[in-house]
Amino acid sequence: MFAAIHLPDFHLQAVLRLREELRGKPVAIIHSAESGGGILEITPEARAAGVTEGMPDVQALARCPALEIRSRQPVQEQAVAAILLEVAHSISPLVEATEEGVCTVDLRGVRNRDWSDWGNEIITRLARVSLVSRMGVAPNPDLAWLAAWRANPVLVVQQPELFLRDLPIATMRPSRALLTILEGWGIETLGQLTKLPSADLISRLGIEASQLCERAAARKIRPLRLVQLAEEFSEFLEFECGIETLEPLLFVLRRLLDQLTRRLDGVHRVAARMILQLALENRSDYERDFIIPAPTCETEVLFRILDTHLEDLHLEQRPVGVRLTMEPIRADHNQLRLFENPLRDPNRFGETMARLIALVGPGHAGIGCPEDTHHPDSFRIQEPCFHELRGETTVAVCAVGLPLRRYRPPVAANIRQRDRSPEFVSSAVVNGPILDALGPYRSGGDWWDEKIWQREEWDVEVARAGLYRICRQENEWSVEGCYDTGLC
Amino acid sequence: MINVVDFPVPAAAPVGVKGARLVGLRSLLAEKFPAVETKESGVLPTGHAAFDGPEGGLRRGRLTEITGSLGAGPLFLELLLTILAREKCFAALIDGGHSFSPEDYSPDALARLLWVFCREAGQAIKSADLLLRDGNLALVVLDLQWLAPRDLQRIPASTWHRFQRVVEKTDAVFAVISPRPMIEGAAVRIAVRNQWDLRAMRCCRSKLMSELEVQIFSRTTQAPPVWSRRSA
Repeated sequence: MFAAIHLPDFHLQAVLRLREELRGKPVAIIHSAESGGGILEITPEARAAGVTEGMPDVQALARCPALEIRSRQPVQEQAVAAILLEVAHSISPLVEATEEGVCTVDLRGVRNRDWSDWGNEIITRLARVSLVSRMGVAPNPDLAWLAAWRANPVLVVQQPELFLRDLPIATMRPSRALLTILEGWGIETLGQLTKLPSADLISRLGIEASQLCERAAARKIRPLRLVQLAEEFSEFLEFECGIETLEPLLFVLRRLLDQLTRRLDGVHRVAARMILQLALENRSDYERDFIIPAPTCETEVLFRILDTHLEDLHLEQRPVGVRLTMEPIRADHNQLRLFENPLRDPNRFGETMARLIALVGPGHAGIGCPEDTHHPDSFRIQEPCFHELRGETTVAVCAVGLPLRRYRPPVAANIRQRDRSPEFVSSAVVNGPILDALGPYRSGGDWWDEKIWQREEWDVEVARAGLYRICRQENEWSVEGCYDTGLC
Repeated sequence: MINVVDFPVPAAAPVGVKGARLVGLRSLLAEKFPAVETKESGVLPTGHAAFDGPEGGLRRGRLTEITGSLGAGPLFLELLLTILAREKCFAALIDGGHSFSPEDYSPDALARLLWVFCREAGQAIKSADLLLRDGNLALVVLDLQWLAPRDLQRIPASTWHRFQRVVEKTDAVFAVISPRPMIEGAAVRIAVRNQWDLRAMRCCRSKLMSELEVQIFSRTTQAPPVWSRRSA
């Protein structure tokens, strides 16, 4: 069997999906504001007011003054097409994007079942992402396509001959010329068409008639033009005017997140990465990449991450559009580690980290990793990945001496020496005679480039002050840090 | 040498059906995995007698103040990293004076330590508040030893009471390293009495730890908040 899923009024649905405020109102879609073409698709409310497809927009407005006229939105149409394919891929890997708002799924190999109930489940899933759909199930793709157009909401074709017999030829969308000829002959249904001798029909009406007959007979199973599932899920919304405060932006983001998480849930995936893009008034973009510590498709968790970030964000320009993109992965089903104490809620920790960094500044919170150099006080700050940390941690047991507390930057000092040993220190942090000293500890590095350095360190005990580390570099002395100052 | 001050023995909790199940589960785990040591839930053992005291570790869900000379703080951090490696848990160090020197510690152990360095006392207090409320970390250490006394005096006393209320709701150990006793409401105060000379710079750190002279003051939960001293 094959299933065709059809989104009626595709362009209209694409516009209305994220515009809940337009639901229940007379709305009409036109090709574009500039082209001035006629009405393309309308809502039932507009139809009730006397508006019809093909009508000029001026005439439509005259009939229905409350009519909301909107242009097609190609970005939203792409998103809706992507949703349709995602749902189709959750049914079968063999999916064809047949045309705008229609996709066909190969169900051969699927065990026979109650196709009507099954179809209703799929339609309910699409309804969760605010899309109205119809489904046709039939023994071949063309028949499924025809059934989808006539379904309400699911039509299962068990006997193709009976189904085709009374179907108007116009449903196959032949050319106007061919349709006129056939109507002139009194041939109005597909049943009548298939009864005609095909060889004679082709000799008189050409190749188009041949293709029409083949489709009307619905005996041939054409190969599907398969498409792959997209690797990212994206939603975009353009604002009618620039947004100045946080609340409306959060409102829109919440709506986009709702859609994206439902889409992810539909294909049994979770978000591992989230990219926020804000289109600004000066045509530039603000972009922020969020790595989700514990991949999830929970709207609340993802929304908190965005909220925390946006609270401290100040932009020079007003945003006029927002795009949210999710990178999906399969949900992680690792067993919890019995004898380890992992983070209870990695996403909450990620949120706390964002708040911390906003408080203390970037590069002031993280894991302190010593750099691969002998130069003292060389370290970099890395983002903590506690949730990924595995295995044993070893601690060196051979450390010698008290750990140092550093002055950052080191405090300049005057050192008096005797026999090349420091004898007296004078600085802003410590002054006094040096009772005892250990050193010199000489080190150097980067001799192969301009950053060459050489230094001489001493650990000194200053009378009535404590233990300090002093250092000489380029003939300048400094107090680098303190080990102990004695009891306060 | 350890001096201990009044430790009350906590009353035994009533054992219900859940308690019996927990005991059963623990005994099953002990039987299946004898190598794994079971611990008392109310404390986090440091593995060092000087800091553990008679309770057997640092109290979870309580504020512990560590005071003493400047060398005591970094030695406690050394101990902290050992705990992280052993317990396979995570901790945060809020470095009030930006004095922590990561190169003096094992890089492997540092991977379990979140280091937050602040420019002022206010930032350090806010950072501690955020991390305690987060509830993900087993240990949060607020190091105020390197801050000027003037900055420390500006911290209102109510801050510590608020921290105590926050940490009560978690099972984290919250340790504040201060140059002198300043937190009246601390559940436990560990005063390090050592004063080191240059010979300490030639000694192994484990030997330095074993030579620590510590006095532990504990506030009872039942008794009125009065500090008293008793030699162990």
